[in-house]
Amino acid sequence: MFTSTEIILAVMVVTYIIVRALKISTELSMFAAAVSGALAGGEGIPIRHIGEGAFTYFDIILIFITATLFMNLLKQSGGISFAVRKILIRFHRKKAILFVLMTFLLLLPGALTGAGSVTVLIMGGMISIVLSYMGLSRVKATALIFILAGLSAAAPPVSLWAMLTAAGINMPYVGFFLPLLIPCVLLGLVTMFVLAWKSKPVDLKKALKELPEPPGEMNWIRVSLPFAAFFLLVFAGRAWPHSSPILGLPMMFMVSAGLSFVLSPAKLNFLKISRDTIHQLLPLIGTLTCVGILVQIMTLTGVRGLIAITTVTLPLTVVILTMPLVLPVSEAVLMWGAAPVLGVPLVLLFNTIGLNPIVALAGMSLIWPLGDALPPTAIIGRLAKETVQMKKPYPRMLKHCLIPALIIMVVGILMIVFSKKLGFLTML
Amino acid sequence: MTANQAHLIRKTIFISLGLLMTFFAGISFHQSRHIKEPVVLSSGVKTSRTLGQYFSGIKGTINDSNVYILEGERPGGTFLVLGGTHPEEPAGRLAAWIFAENAVLEQGRLLVILSANRSGSTATRLGGAYPPDYTIPTSWGGQKFRMGDRWSNPLDQWPDPEVYIHYPSGQELAYVDIRNLNRTFPGRPNGTLTEKTSYAITQLIRKEDVDVVIDLHEAELQYPVISTIVAHQKGQDLAAMASMMISGTEGFQIGMENSPPELRGLSHREIGDHTNAIPLLLESPEPMLDACRGKTGRQLLLEGKDEFLVKANQHGLLFEKIDQKGWPIEKRVGRHTSTILQISELWTADHPGKAVIITGIPRYSDVIKNGVGAYLHDPNKASPDQLKWE
Amino acid sequence: MTAVTILYYLLSAYVAFIIIWNLIKSKKWQEELLYIIIVIPFILRILRLK
Repeated sequence: MFTSTEIILAVMVVTYIIVRALKISTELSMFAAAVSGALAGGEGIPIRHIGEGAFTYFDIILIFITATLFMNLLKQSGGISFAVRKILIRFHRKKAILFVLMTFLLLLPGALTGAGSVTVLIMGGMISIVLSYMGLSRVKATALIFILAGLSAAAPPVSLWAMLTAAGINMPYVGFFLPLLIPCVLLGLVTMFVLAWKSKPVDLKKALKELPEPPGEMNWIRVSLPFAAFFLLVFAGRAWPHSSPILGLPMMFMVSAGLSFVLSPAKLNFLKISRDTIHQLLPLIGTLTCVGILVQIMTLTGVRGLIAITTVTLPLTVVILTMPLVLPVSEAVLMWGAAPVLGVPLVLLFNTIGLNPIVALAGMSLIWPLGDALPPTAIIGRLAKETVQMKKPYPRMLKHCLIPALIIMVVGILMIVFSKKLGFLTML
Repeated sequence: MTANQAHLIRKTIFISLGLLMTFFAGISFHQSRHIKEPVVLSSGVKTSRTLGQYFSGIKGTINDSNVYILEGERPGGTFLVLGGTHPEEPAGRLAAWIFAENAVLEQGRLLVILSANRSGSTATRLGGAYPPDYTIPTSWGGQKFRMGDRWSNPLDQWPDPEVYIHYPSGQELAYVDIRNLNRTFPGRPNGTLTEKTSYAITQLIRKEDVDVVIDLHEAELQYPVISTIVAHQKGQDLAAMASMMISGTEGFQIGMENSPPELRGLSHREIGDHTNAIPLLLESPEPMLDACRGKTGRQLLLEGKDEFLVKANQHGLLFEKIDQKGWPIEKRVGRHTSTILQISELWTADHPGKAVIITGIPRYSDVIKNGVGAYLHDPNKASPDQLKWE
Repeated sequence: MTAVTILYYLLSAYVAFIIIWNLIKSKKWQEELLYIIIVIPFILRILRLK
């Protein structure tokens, strides 16, 4: 069983490399690897499993689409630039406050949607303009936005690595709020201060000139009402769960999207923005769909089990010490698929040896997003580079990520090792 | 050929391939959702009802599941056996099937539900690569069963909330668990389909004055709650005695665990808290649920053999042992039938006025010797009033 | 089926429509293939097959 599964894994890896070498996208290469794995495993072309795998992240994809549509409508209406301008005018002399505010602005979209890409798409461009007027190079700004995007994805309430792993071991997604929130906020601030420390105070005039000008009728009410509606719906769902209808995150985002559309001072083309949103999200939705298919085929053929059993039977110190490497690499290859493939056996292992699975999983969730800068997918890294319009070679950005990434890794590992002592954070 | 024409041809080919894939995947999903599973009722079944008769809010829905009522000549106590709470745990359903097709009551009543969450039995787990169905070999050919999921089918309950808040405790649970029947007890009459199903079962327990509820499950070997009876505090003595008796006489070991009061929504907690019945939950080992498992398919589902898990066992990572012989379905089903019999025997000894005496059911060693199929009857030879469909 | 569920089917249909529109307008073969792969779950859900 071991040898035959190793052969299937080898076939999948080789197919992936060859298809990538032919300049075919990561997403399609994953699809090709999945199909080749199924063929090598003697399953033919298992259409049912391909269809089922494509469904794995269907709900998450709907959240991405609706959240991004909402954010894009808000951006097009001038709401985001309005908010950034107001914050700049108010706080441009106070660097520390500006840093804190920018950190929260960057953490918010990803925390709500679970996707770092939404942070990059919504806030990345604006914040990078502010940073550039503080004398920060585009390379550094890209690194900063990438790291914050990763932390925002790990931050609660929606942390997909934690949610998917918890679901995989029948553990309720409960008790994660503080173990995720505290490190994400602290590490976000540390990253901001470390990377932007040498910046100068903002040149307000220049910055305001370059930031997009919102329509004159834009005001705080128009900007904040869609957010207020979103939070109200989330709050109502939690406060009166048994007397309010179940809306689900996608519909809540659609309500906010609808409000942004209605409240926009400028007339917006809903269809065009929808089309642009889908086009913008294609790499992300494509990756999620193809990862779902890949994981399904890996499970079908036993490759997923092979990876899991190989990982969990390593000596414990090796498992923990290699985590800064293994988690980001698994993320780079499988994205959220890393949670069911590696997260599940690892958390079960930690549980077996008496660690606190919630805090340990929260620690792992901090490290995983760092892999989004690594090839083959490098999806958030690439997105950040494009959004900030960084012209320098991509590896330059990685160099600037190194210090915050190391700090995040150390914090993550410490959270795993001392998870039992930190168990009070779960409030269970 | 112009570039435009070439482009058009390419696009047509791609779209055709996509349509073909959608078509064949769709057919497969549709077929497995609609597999009809026959039940040849035992002569001991005196009445058949549906959950909708206990709670009208579920009438006509996919979860208006059958309730088979077996009754003895002499009055006594009442047991309820729940199969298919988690339809991805087939030994639970199959053991219940053996009761519905073979049990005869000498005293008391036995209520059997084979598809507690029928919706969940019509889809397979995303990413799980489960086979859509499996066949239990029988002397008359074989009987096909739907392989199910842990959760209700999203086609019957959509969307999921941002977070699932359990009723009535208010505990926050993972959003998907709003479709997990074993997280929605005691249920809610104006809730989701799954919450309504739990409510219907709770109503049945109240209206039929059930004494003991036995909820049949399976668990992954890497999960701490395995090969055990999970008992509400009301059933601690009964479960502890059953565990001792089984370990001494039946040829296998089974543990006993207390139902944790802080975990809400589970049958062994809420049924005990909200009705007069004693709830017990049985777990047998199912290798196909483990994250470390190898090739997934019908063979693993039925034979339970897996080299990767044997390696995990050698590294001390499992809560239940596994060797080259694996955990075949006969062993897993036999554990359930013997445990139910032991519980009913101990209950009867302790409550002579509320005795439940069940005959005609194979014990662990019988199921291993004869196979599960030996206790499934040929639907083609059944009289129409004996034949039901799940 | 609840009103919210119906809204979800409508939302899925809208997304599928946009994906197909983008697919028709696309000129890049890799993009076209990816649009086809991502629209499959939407179609299966709208047709209530999965």
